[in-house]
Amino acid sequence: MNKRCTIVAVLAFCFQTKAQITFPVNGTTDPKHLTYAFKNAKIFTDYKTSIDSAILIVRDGLVVDAGKNLAIPEDAVLFDLKGKFIYPSLIDIFTDYGLPEVAKRKDNENPQFLSNTKGAYGWNQAIRSDYDANKIFSADSKKADEYRKLCFGSVMTVNKDGIARGTSSFVTLGDGRDNDIVIKDKVAANYSFDKGSSPQDYPSSLMGTIALLRQTYLDAQWYTNGGYKKEYNISLDSWNKNQNLPQVFDAGDKQNELRADKVGDEFGVNYIIKGTGDEYQRITEIKEMNDALIVALNFPDAYDMNDPYDAMNISLGQMKHWELAPTNPAALEKAGIPFALTTADLKDKNIFWKNLRKAIEYGLSEQSALRALTQTPAELLKVNDQVGSLKKGMLANFVITSKNIFDKDAVMYDNWVKGVRYKYLDYDTKDIRGTYSLSIGSLPAVKLRVNGDQGSPDMNVADDTSLAKVSYSRQGGLITLQFEKKKSAPKGTFHLSGYVKDENPNDWNGTGQLPNGDWITWNVKLDSAFIPQAKRDTTKKDSLKLGAVTYPFMAYGWKEMPKQKTVLFKNATVWTNEKEGILQNTDVLIANGKIQKVGKGLSDPAAEVIDATGKNLTSGIIDEHSHICASGDLNEGTQSSSAEVRVADIIDAEDINLYRQLAGGVTSSHILHGSANAIGGQTQLIKERWGASPEKMKFAGWPRFIKFALGENVKQSNWGDRQVTRFPQTRMGVEQVYADYFTRAKEYNPGPSPLPPKGGIAAIPVRRDLELEALKEILDSKRFITCHSYVQSEINMLMHVADSFGFKVNTFTHILEGYKVADKMKAHGVRGASSFADWWAYKYEVYEAIPYNGAIMHDVGLTVAFNSDDAEMARRLNQEAAKAVKYGGVSEEEAWKFVTLNPAKLLRVDDKVGSIKPGKDADVVLWNDNPLCIYAKPLQTYVDGIKYFDVETDKQMRAEILKERARLIQKMTDSKNKGEGTQKPSLKAQTLHHCLEDEYVLIK
Amino acid sequence: MKNIISTVTLSAVAFVSALAQNPAPAPVQSESIIIMNGTAHIGNGKVIENSVIGFENGKITLIGDATVIKLQEGKYKKKISAFGKHVYPGFINCNSSLGLTEIDLVRSTRDNYEVGDLNPNVRSIIAYNTDSKITPTVRSNGVLMEQIVPSGGTISGQSSVVELDAWNWEDASYKTDEGIHLNWPQMYVAKYPGSDPEDKQRERMNKEMNNIEQFFSEAKAYAMSAPIEKNLRLESMKGLFNGSKKLYVHCGYVKEIESAVLFSKKFGVKMVLVDGQDAWRVSSLLKENNIPVILGRVHSLPPREDDDVDLPYKLPYMLKQAGVTYALSIDGSWQNRNLAFMAGTSAGYGLTKEEALMSITSAPAKILGIDNTVGTLETGKDATLFISSGDALDMRTNNVDAAFINGREINLDNVQKQLNAKYKEKYGLK
Repeated sequence: MNKRCTIVAVLAFCFQTKAQITFPVNGTTDPKHLTYAFKNAKIFTDYKTSIDSAILIVRDGLVVDAGKNLAIPEDAVLFDLKGKFIYPSLIDIFTDYGLPEVAKRKDNENPQFLSNTKGAYGWNQAIRSDYDANKIFSADSKKADEYRKLCFGSVMTVNKDGIARGTSSFVTLGDGRDNDIVIKDKVAANYSFDKGSSPQDYPSSLMGTIALLRQTYLDAQWYTNGGYKKEYNISLDSWNKNQNLPQVFDAGDKQNELRADKVGDEFGVNYIIKGTGDEYQRITEIKEMNDALIVALNFPDAYDMNDPYDAMNISLGQMKHWELAPTNPAALEKAGIPFALTTADLKDKNIFWKNLRKAIEYGLSEQSALRALTQTPAELLKVNDQVGSLKKGMLANFVITSKNIFDKDAVMYDNWVKGVRYKYLDYDTKDIRGTYSLSIGSLPAVKLRVNGDQGSPDMNVADDTSLAKVSYSRQGGLITLQFEKKKSAPKGTFHLSGYVKDENPNDWNGTGQLPNGDWITWNVKLDSAFIPQAKRDTTKKDSLKLGAVTYPFMAYGWKEMPKQKTVLFKNATVWTNEKEGILQNTDVLIANGKIQKVGKGLSDPAAEVIDATGKNLTSGIIDEHSHICASGDLNEGTQSSSAEVRVADIIDAEDINLYRQLAGGVTSSHILHGSANAIGGQTQLIKERWGASPEKMKFAGWPRFIKFALGENVKQSNWGDRQVTRFPQTRMGVEQVYADYFTRAKEYNPGPSPLPPKGGIAAIPVRRDLELEALKEILDSKRFITCHSYVQSEINMLMHVADSFGFKVNTFTHILEGYKVADKMKAHGVRGASSFADWWAYKYEVYEAIPYNGAIMHDVGLTVAFNSDDAEMARRLNQEAAKAVKYGGVSEEEAWKFVTLNPAKLLRVDDKVGSIKPGKDADVVLWNDNPLCIYAKPLQTYVDGIKYFDVETDKQMRAEILKERARLIQKMTDSKNKGEGTQKPSLKAQTLHHCLEDEYVLIK
Repeated sequence: MKNIISTVTLSAVAFVSALAQNPAPAPVQSESIIIMNGTAHIGNGKVIENSVIGFENGKITLIGDATVIKLQEGKYKKKISAFGKHVYPGFINCNSSLGLTEIDLVRSTRDNYEVGDLNPNVRSIIAYNTDSKITPTVRSNGVLMEQIVPSGGTISGQSSVVELDAWNWEDASYKTDEGIHLNWPQMYVAKYPGSDPEDKQRERMNKEMNNIEQFFSEAKAYAMSAPIEKNLRLESMKGLFNGSKKLYVHCGYVKEIESAVLFSKKFGVKMVLVDGQDAWRVSSLLKENNIPVILGRVHSLPPREDDDVDLPYKLPYMLKQAGVTYALSIDGSWQNRNLAFMAGTSAGYGLTKEEALMSITSAPAKILGIDNTVGTLETGKDATLFISSGDALDMRTNNVDAAFINGREINLDNVQKQLNAKYKEKYGLK
């Protein structure tokens, strides 16, 4: 066999070259040009082309030719396959084969600000662009065998560690010298959202991870454009070198796939995105990514629903995913999305084929399945000139099977890797399955059952009324059986040895020993032939009665998204929030997503008329300070400034709290970064468009905001005794953080290097810095601050900082001591204050908080809002507004504005929302009562004229949820009874983000 | 004595220049008082639209319909007009840490959480701080009594019921060491970032269950015998087995509730379920065994994603429909002033307003075993009541303008009102 020759050389000169190797030989050299020919096979030369009774010729590990009527070389070893099948062997595009296991991250007890890696690397330890798998890779014959058994012949191997993971290699699954196994040293560059083993603090959140990726792209560009003159940076250098490779992004679930795609789009990269197999839940958006996918075949086991109480803890979304996960590959095929399949994410690789066949049963075509495991991965990694099909000159990587590889009954005989045969079953191995009578000596005959997989069937012998497992081995025609009878006499272990008759695989006989040691003769007689399960399975049709994909994919999700309508509310009490005040017996017409008319006696023939007599119509509640619908942590609190991170990157469209808030009359929420640092992240205003994709939840035309924070959280007062080294630890230091960052932001002017002065040296260009960019936008009044604040001293301080840099603080949020400096806030020109109605005493800085705060600030002339900061309170902000009436005697009309028009003003969207005025968005709520009254509840909630909540629809949904749960519980129980795997139920606790810490909802 | 309205106005002015501090506790009722023409919400479901309520020496001596009752001239020295207003029995909040914690995040101000797993001998009343700045803000919304409860460990200790106006904890205590608080082990596996692995959770559950079983067995044996050596922990458990103390079991998951009920039956102790989010699923078990429920905050999120969106809001109604005795509560300190609004919300979701009122007056009184003396406006009971200018369950109209504990007219001022007045003066606001 040719031990070392470059691929190009092989293609051109293979048959002329002599075998040359670089390694010294101990003993006599053994030059060979092994040639094999296979005839009478059905050969799949690629995923879509097959040739009946064809010939395959292989030489020196490469395909010479495949087709009909080929001349078989004289020196070829010839195999007559008699109707067997040959397929290109499969490719697993996403493995860590032959690489060391990734160490678990040990989180530091003390903060770690910078990378611990010694050497000229970049600042962040999770950027491991310098990693090259080919330098670490070493074949693992045991693992290779596991893959080969599943018909795989080659894999990509990637170090699954870090946000940038460096390059992966493409290797075969042969045994032998690593030099023969590596096919392509650097086959792809790899990325993920998981910092892996990096113990460095930053990034601690998904937001931070995305920011780090974006900044690294920018830094790398800067490095190329001259930054290299300033510093030598291995990480950036290898990052740049890796850019011309295929870029693989191990993203995670469907929402993370969309996030990865967005990063790619920004920097002109088309990632190959690895997902977890829930793409079918957002197939339209996944298709719109225009990226190829790598998809896991990880179908969850059914939950064990025997205990109805434990069953309650499993959500409808989890149950539905169990049912529909196997439809995912079919959904991708139907949508025309290119995809490769992988064994990655499977707890046990051996269920790969079971799951693949299941996917086919659920609609994936066999051709697409084969393509996703051969052609597609080869093309994606640009190794399709070597693997993925059986064309002239390609690697002789193929498998020989008894029949159609997707047939449940098919067995694999050989897996050939680079022309080397790995034999798993003799070609002439007979199908011995069936039900037999086993006669041993003079003992009465007993039943012997042989069923299951043809290649390695299960064998059981009757033992009284139960079955005893028979262990057996076969070698050619020889067979030995061993089993222990525990229940029927003679008890003990039987050892039988014999042979299977060549002419009749159901006729075996031989000699053996009884438990007492007596030698006897034995034989089997076929009672009934084996019937493959596929043909017996009559329940198959039933199992394909599937539930619908809903948006979002969980309880209260829509089968079909609700539509914009023309609606006429007749005879309502209308809280206009305009100079007209609260109008009695008034009509409101909404159409095309906007409020059209407010008046009396309105009509519109196209409108759905709602009798609102005795009811109240208001604009939707706007929550100025919310932490719902975010994936991952809402704090990137690892540094004093994280201005570069964006909540926009992590909107989670599948938070049940979105729906719950609609039920509380909320139509917009301002999703804020937490308050762990002085300069937090960029915020995102959303509308509660329940069922829409994350991108479509965003409030269009909204100016940008950023979260700042002051006080105890920022100076880590309550973070424990170890968190005492990050600057700042006092309010004095907080001021200096701002002074420093704004000074730098003021000087920040990114761009190419200015022209050198005559005879001078060109300056290094200024890199685009996402952090300073966001701060510069504040200075330019293109981005606005909402600042978490409590005590008067710090409020005063920030206004002074702002004044000295020439900008205004837009919003003070929380601002519980605002009442002490309301006059100063007014003089500074804040846009307003957003407070809690009555919170206090939870920490020292709120010990002088008073519930009259809102009223005093309002009376001084500030625009005042009440916010939630809490998913629970957000759904009854109307009650919180009423506290302004109780504490301080604000009029009801003005108090109502605290949760509608005033937050709209603070968020600078009062031209679009916040009142009932023609031309504004039709974000309206119909209440059964005065909305400030504690007995009031929303009956209907509209966003953009679309009714996303209706108490009546809600009632129907509850009934449907119960019904759908019952159906799925039954189905899971059936699955369990059929012997399918199960998992124990547990409660996936909902996450509630707060300013500083996350909370998980348990059953209390 | 002046009428109430002017008292309130005066005190607001008087405190503008004073230091932020709590008002002095009120002296013992010295003259008889009658409240005329208010809408009396009795606390047992009944309402008297135009009522007279008289009280002497701290006890209610008269309640009736003003249009029917003939008043004895001069019997009541002081007359208060409640015309157009509402009179309520003082609200009672259970499962509270008021007076045990002052500032949640400041360790030196926390006295609610003792170290150790089995602390039945620990007594909340000892640490109850009558000078908490929070207390006056709570009672000025109508909450006049609270059950002060320790937390932490498996058995956190003993609770006492207090009146929210006293010079010291001895004076404050209304029913001392009335029950023992047991935090039932979590009986389901919960997964969230940082949660323990499944097997570890199950292991802990079993261990804790065994510990409780073992401890109660020992305590019962100790209670039934003359022990050789005095054991303070076991000593404090005695009351559970002779019926003088209640066992408050804190849990929510349906299996926890079931097993706690079986456990209490087995040991023959009087159980009260605290929190009980899943209580509605086993309401017949609770009803059959006469187990009352102190529900946690009505203002909370449904525990499971699929749950009815308004489940916590309508939970009181569901228990009422099932015939289970229940009270509402807020587990906290500064939050407790919103107790009435928890009741108000549940009135928006099924309960009638008077039923909602019962859940924070007569129902908690009954559960705490103090219903002979408080919880309703009935003759012979303590004159622990207040006048609100409007519906006290609705924050728009909850406006307490006079309150009495044992007939003592308490000062409704608090530090927050003082700060309000101080800064209104600064800004020249009215």
